[in-house]
Formats: sequence, structure tokens, C-alpha cells
Amino acid sequence: MAEPAVNVIQRLRVDAVRCDGVGICAHLAVELVRVDSWGYPIVSRQPLSARSLRQARAAVAACPRRALFLATD
Amino acid sequence: MTAQLHLVDTDLAEVPAGPAAQVPAQPLFGAPVYYVGADSNAISELGVEDLFAHRRRFGHRPHLTGAAGAAFIDTLEDIGLTGRGGGHFPVARKWRTVRTAGRNAVVVANGAEGEPLSGKDAALLQLRPHLVLDGLACAAEALDATDAVIWLHEGAEATRASIVHALAERRAAGLIEPQMRVVTGPARYLSGESSAIVQALSGGPALPQFRLASAATSGVNGLPTLVQNVETLARVALSAHSPEAFATSTLVTVAVPGRRVVLELDRATQLGDAIGSVLGSTPLQAILIGGYGGSWAPWVDVSDVMLAESDMRDRGLSLGAGILVPLGAGQCGLEQTASIISYLADSSARQCGPCVFGLRGVADLVRDLAEKSSGRRDLPRLQRFLAEINGRGGCHHPDGAVRMVASAVTTFAADVSAHLAGRCLHDGAAHLGQRRG
Ligand code: SF4
Ligand code: SF4
Repeated sequence: MAEPAVNVIQRLRVDAVRCDGVGICAHLAVELVRVDSWGYPIVSRQPLSARSLRQARAAVAACPRRALFLATD
Repeated sequence: MTAQLHLVDTDLAEVPAGPAAQVPAQPLFGAPVYYVGADSNAISELGVEDLFAHRRRFGHRPHLTGAAGAAFIDTLEDIGLTGRGGGHFPVARKWRTVRTAGRNAVVVANGAEGEPLSGKDAALLQLRPHLVLDGLACAAEALDATDAVIWLHEGAEATRASIVHALAERRAAGLIEPQMRVVTGPARYLSGESSAIVQALSGGPALPQFRLASAATSGVNGLPTLVQNVETLARVALSAHSPEAFATSTLVTVAVPGRRVVLELDRATQLGDAIGSVLGSTPLQAILIGGYGGSWAPWVDVSDVMLAESDMRDRGLSLGAGILVPLGAGQCGLEQTASIISYLADSSARQCGPCVFGLRGVADLVRDLAEKSSGRRDLPRLQRFLAEINGRGGCHHPDGAVRMVASAVTTFAADVSAHLAGRCLHDGAAHLGQRRG
């Protein structure tokens, strides 16, 4: 996939229908994901900085349900 | 669908209907429409408008293929028609998105009202089927669609029979128009959700989906798809027949124990007059505006609000799909809220954790609150749950539920304090229907 231009705003998003709530993402992207009272991920809605983008990519790659992805506005 | 009416019996049921509501010049109905109990057959003194009567009132529907379609979209923009399914999104903008998204568009008339207390869409489909079908035909032509669907709940027998009959009438009369077909989905609360319809028509289950692209750009089988509520389409038809006569009316469904009444009112009508035309001068305590996923508000604060969505918005409210549930002076709002949130939790399409577990958790806490058995930390817990759930489902179902409960906690603040202290402000004569179920 082509790398988006540097000035494109990206955010981490979760497809709640797919997510199983085991919470692997919360371990891999500690600054971007916390879990709710039932163990499901609450994902930061902030635009990703260059540093957090690396964390986000790791979480996306590790999600066993393919429920996490990077979205551009 | 089996309408489940979560209404507590009160003296409200006994009050006779008041004077007929104010009717605009070019009406959809021309008289109030009633439903008795949980029955889904719409009753109106004016009866069904068959093709002959419809033609006598409106003449021929203009054809909107080619340039006429583009011109008609401009007309829809000029008159400012917005969606009436609850979202109030400008119709012209949605149609343009579909038109520019590509070829072979799919248009869907959404007649699967989710709310058990709603009734306006079934009323239109049963009593004014040709207005809805004219609207769908207009959309199909203007968007150059290759498929036009009327989406209904299975089990909505009277509604389905009416549309099937109306389509047969049109065929027999040899109308030149796009082919339209009826498709039914399961009689669930959420099968009228736009993404659920798209998924079902693409061959999947009728369950909401998480989607990044809108249905308008990539819907049924990836094709541009218009999903439009049937009241919106009926208004599209009115505008196509004569834009000048486009009515500034809105349809509301007032739900009181034992019956629902669909009223066609001018948008400048105040809530007090709308409810008064059904209940007379019965003293009210509060009102749920916008249905189960709407907001509670104290009656004294909102009886002067107009039905116009702009007026509603100024007060932080939305008419949504037009459902109004008045709460009598003697009723306990927390009990009503507990019953509604429990229904909404049960209606979850059971796909997303925050919705499945979260709404159940909220429903349990609200039930405890209503039964005066809350623990010391339960109210902050409830607030935390509401904040955590909001915006986190695959569809907007949990958001509406959160909004309704949050508004109950503020509207019935005095009841909340009393219940936490083990008392109820409405103990006594008012509890006619409280402990029946
Ligand atoms: S890793 Fe994927 S499936 Fe697991 S909790 Fe995170 S988003 Fe959900
Ligand atoms: S939020 Fe609830 S109703 Fe909506 S898709 Fe998820 S589980 Fe289904």
C-alpha cells in the first residue's frame, strides 16, 4: 500500500462489530488504547503523531480479528 | 412487528381525543391516524387512498429521467427537504452524492420503523401507499437506479398487503415507471438501520455493520445506494407533483397507554398544542422526545418548543423520527426509563461488546435505581458506563440509549435523590400499572 503523504491526518479506528475484546491492542498501543469496564478497547480519537503512528501500526498488525485500522479523515 | 408498549397505565388512557389537529394545505393524511393497543393496523376516518383517488388528487407524476432529474434535485434543495427518518439530513445532498458516485444505483424506501411506539411510516404505507411509491419512483428515475426496493419488516402484514396491492394497481393501470419490489427483513428493532439494510440486500444478514464509506457512495454490493425513509419519499412525491404546495408539516406519533396517534402538524406547532390535541389538559410531568433513543425533558421546560427541528436543536433536543411519549404527573419517570432501557438492551444486535455488555450493565443499574435498591456507588458507576459506551458501537443504537438514560437522570433528578434515599415521590394513588409485570 502506498504511504500516505506526511500531512495526511490519520486516526486509529476500531470496528466494534469485529472486535472480540481480548485487548491485545491495549498492550501494544498503551498510549492510544485503554479498555472499558467490559474489557473492550477505547481508542484515542486524536490524530496520530509520527511517534504514535508506530504504536498504532503495531496494534493494527497484531489484531487477531482485523478489527483495527488506520483511517484518514 | 410485535409492538411492545412500555407504558404505565394511568388516567391518561381515559381522556378522550381533543379537537382535530391543525392540518396544512397539502396534507399527507388530512386527519389523525390511530392505532389501538399494540395493534399495527392504522385506522383513519379518511381510509386508504387507492390509485384512482390518488390520481384524482395529484394527477400524473412527472417523469424525472435525465435533465429533469437534476432539476428536481435542485428543487428539493430549494424547498429544503430533509430526511424524516430521524437524521434530518438534507435530501438533495444525499441524492447528489448517489448520483455522482457512479452508475447502477440502488434506491430503497425504508419502511421498517424500529421503534415499537412509532406509527407514521406504517400509516403512510397502509393509507397513502401511492405517495410513497411515487416518491420511490421519482428517486429511481432521478438517480437512474437499476433496482428500487421497498424494505419492510416481515410480520408487518397489513403494511405489506397494502404495498403489494398498490403495486398491482399500478401495474394494472399500465403506469410507466421503474420496477419496484418488496423485500422484507426480520422483525427486529435494528433491521431498519441503514447499514443492516445494505448488508441484507447484498446477501448477508440484516445486521448493522461498521462502515467507513457511506451507503450513498458504496452500499448494496458496492453500488451507490439511497436509503430513504418512507415519510421522506412521500414528501418527495408531494414536491414532484407541485413544489409550491410543499407542506411545512411534520408527522409525529403521540404514544399514550392504549393507543398511538399519528398527527400531521405544522412545524410551527408548539409541543403543548400537539400533545393537548390528544390529551386535552391532562397535567404532564415530562415528555420523551424522539422515541426510545430520544431525550426526556421536564414538561414545563419544553411545552412551548416548536416541532421544527431548528427550534428543537436550539434546546438541545431532536424530534428524531417524531415519537412523543408524554409522562403523566403521577408517574415515576425512573420506572419508565428502566423499562425502556431494558428493551433497548434486549434489542442490541449482539455484535459489539460496548453495546451488548454496556447496555445490559446500564439497564441493570437503572432497574436498581427504579426499584430503590441502588448501592452507594451505583450512580457514579452509571455515569461512567454512559460515558464509556457513547459512540462506541458499530451503529448508533447504543448512543440513543445512552442519551435517553442520561436525559432521564437530569430530568428526574429529584426522583433519583428520593430513590437513592429509599423513597419515591410518586408513591400513592398514581401507581395504577406499576407492579403488574
Ligand atoms: S486486538 Fe483487535 S480484537 Fe483484540 S481488543 Fe484490540 S481491536 Fe479488539
Ligand atoms: S452497536 Fe449494538 S446494535 Fe449496533 S451493531 Fe453493535 S451490537 Fe449491533
